[in-house]
Amino acid sequence: MAVAVKRAPASPLAKVGAIFRRDSIVALSYPGNFALSWIQIGVEVVIALYLSSVVAPSAKFGASGEVAGYFQYVVINFAFVRFQTAALSSFAEAIRDGQLTGTLEVVLATPTTLPVLVLSSGVWSFTLTAMQTGVYLLVATTMGLDLGHINAITGLVFLMLTVAAVSPLGVLAAALAMVIKKTGPVEWLSYSSASIFGGVYVPVHSMAWVLQVIGWCLPITHSLAGFRAAAAGVPLGAVASDAYWLLGAAIILMPFSLWLFVRAVNKARVDGTLAMY
Amino acid sequence: MLTVEHVDKSFPVMHGFGAMLRTLTGQHIPRRQVLFDVSLRVGRGELFGLLGPNGAGKSTLLKLLATLTVPDRGRMTIDGIDVAAEPLEAKRRIALCASDERSFYFRLTARQNLEFFGALVGLSGRNLRNRIDECIERVDLTSHLDRRLGGFSSGMRVRLTVARALLGDPSVLFFDEPTRAVDPVHAEDLRRLIRHELVEKGGKTVILATNLLEEAWEVCDRVAVVNHGRIVALGPPRELDAELGKVARYRVTLAEVDDDLVARTRTIPGFRDLRIERSERGVDLHVDLDPREGTLGALMRAVSWDGAALRDFRPIDPEAIDIFKKVMNDGGRG
Repeated sequence: MAVAVKRAPASPLAKVGAIFRRDSIVALSYPGNFALSWIQIGVEVVIALYLSSVVAPSAKFGASGEVAGYFQYVVINFAFVRFQTAALSSFAEAIRDGQLTGTLEVVLATPTTLPVLVLSSGVWSFTLTAMQTGVYLLVATTMGLDLGHINAITGLVFLMLTVAAVSPLGVLAAALAMVIKKTGPVEWLSYSSASIFGGVYVPVHSMAWVLQVIGWCLPITHSLAGFRAAAAGVPLGAVASDAYWLLGAAIILMPFSLWLFVRAVNKARVDGTLAMY
Repeated sequence: MLTVEHVDKSFPVMHGFGAMLRTLTGQHIPRRQVLFDVSLRVGRGELFGLLGPNGAGKSTLLKLLATLTVPDRGRMTIDGIDVAAEPLEAKRRIALCASDERSFYFRLTARQNLEFFGALVGLSGRNLRNRIDECIERVDLTSHLDRRLGGFSSGMRVRLTVARALLGDPSVLFFDEPTRAVDPVHAEDLRRLIRHELVEKGGKTVILATNLLEEAWEVCDRVAVVNHGRIVALGPPRELDAELGKVARYRVTLAEVDDDLVARTRTIPGFRDLRIERSERGVDLHVDLDPREGTLGALMRAVSWDGAALRDFRPIDPEAIDIFKKVMNDGGRG
């Protein structure tokens, strides 16, 4: 007997939930890869510990100019730069995988708007990254990271601002992936720029002024400054300039990146490259 | 009602970074035209066939209607909604059963795939679960519902694309070669599902793209024959028979054949061709007639007029290849 089909206009939240569930099932279906991503946390903390053993404590590493150890500095950066990596890989990979498998066409044949589609594809990745960052910090505390003075409000605000500011970069990467059909160059560029100019390894203020200018232009520089401040117990007001920078970037970049993504998809529609191998 | 009015479509011949560079430097990228001034109207509750060889432009036309690509020129409407101007509204009424059976998440089970796509068309909770059970049963995959797609055969995946298309109970369905890679029994089931369940009982409007002449002739109310991006013939299958030069072909086996019988056969109304072959059965007459009423009776009378020993009589399926060859030779070359 036929079932009466009650088809409500799907809420964006229901679609976000469906995409989150799909991505989580796919990720967990590769248990080896999933386990390695957690093991990688321990490896990175050990690398940070090793690096700190050859770099002397300095006032350069303190969030407020106080003398701090390199471990404290670099392990926070390692933990939170993952949000940018997650943003830049998840959005673009989701779109590229959809092109390769032909699922993008089928999804786009449903009444799903492009912003919902692209932004949802980062939700699982951000959730996993948040969980892994928590574990990262936990493991790091067992090796000497001091979170005794942590300012949770500063940390939470910067977490939200970071996700809001790096997501547009991911959307831009997805737009580029629609055109150049590869995501590798984008990931490489983002990781290397964050490492060199964003202050992951070396504080931005100890670099040449040209590099400082480049670093100032990157969202990750301000995110990491905020997280280091939160770990050191610095109140939000003291890092308000970084918070405003991230907020401004999110406000400007989000609509721009979505506009560009819609244009890239429409170009793919015109060119017949929604499915492209 | 679905309309396509004067639609042209072309695609660039190069893509990717190279194409982007050429565009940025103001260089022209050549385009290949795949549809030329295509117009058609499909009534509500009609099963409309798009018949043509590979590369004729059938899938492109379906993708245009499904908003997956946009025309260079022309207009398309679905239930009065302009597909280009209101794509989201149009997509609420349609479902595309894509020809690419890879268009699933292979790490997910069939149920998880259908749950995902069901959520995207607005289904949720018990309603979604019931709908999945119903649609999966229609394509005979119930026992495979909790298996990962990676373990499905091509034919099973194609059948799952049909289940997916049915999920949201759309009023207009586009099927792109739905029986490709499907075994004959399930292919027949799918044709029955489309013809009887969806169109006759459900009142759905269906456009079926196929390169199987028999499939189009068997299930469609009207058929557009597409070749080289042009509609070269359009009408109900029986009317197209004559237009496409299709014949009713019979093989009559007799113990002996004399000149009178041959002469009688050649003079029956609608006679097209006669070929005589000797075989171990006796003498085979291969007779081609116009596919209209009355010709078969005339043939029967001609070959049994004077009590000739009739050993066998059977209709021979028309050769799709003949039709395609004729279409490709006669029409639609751009």
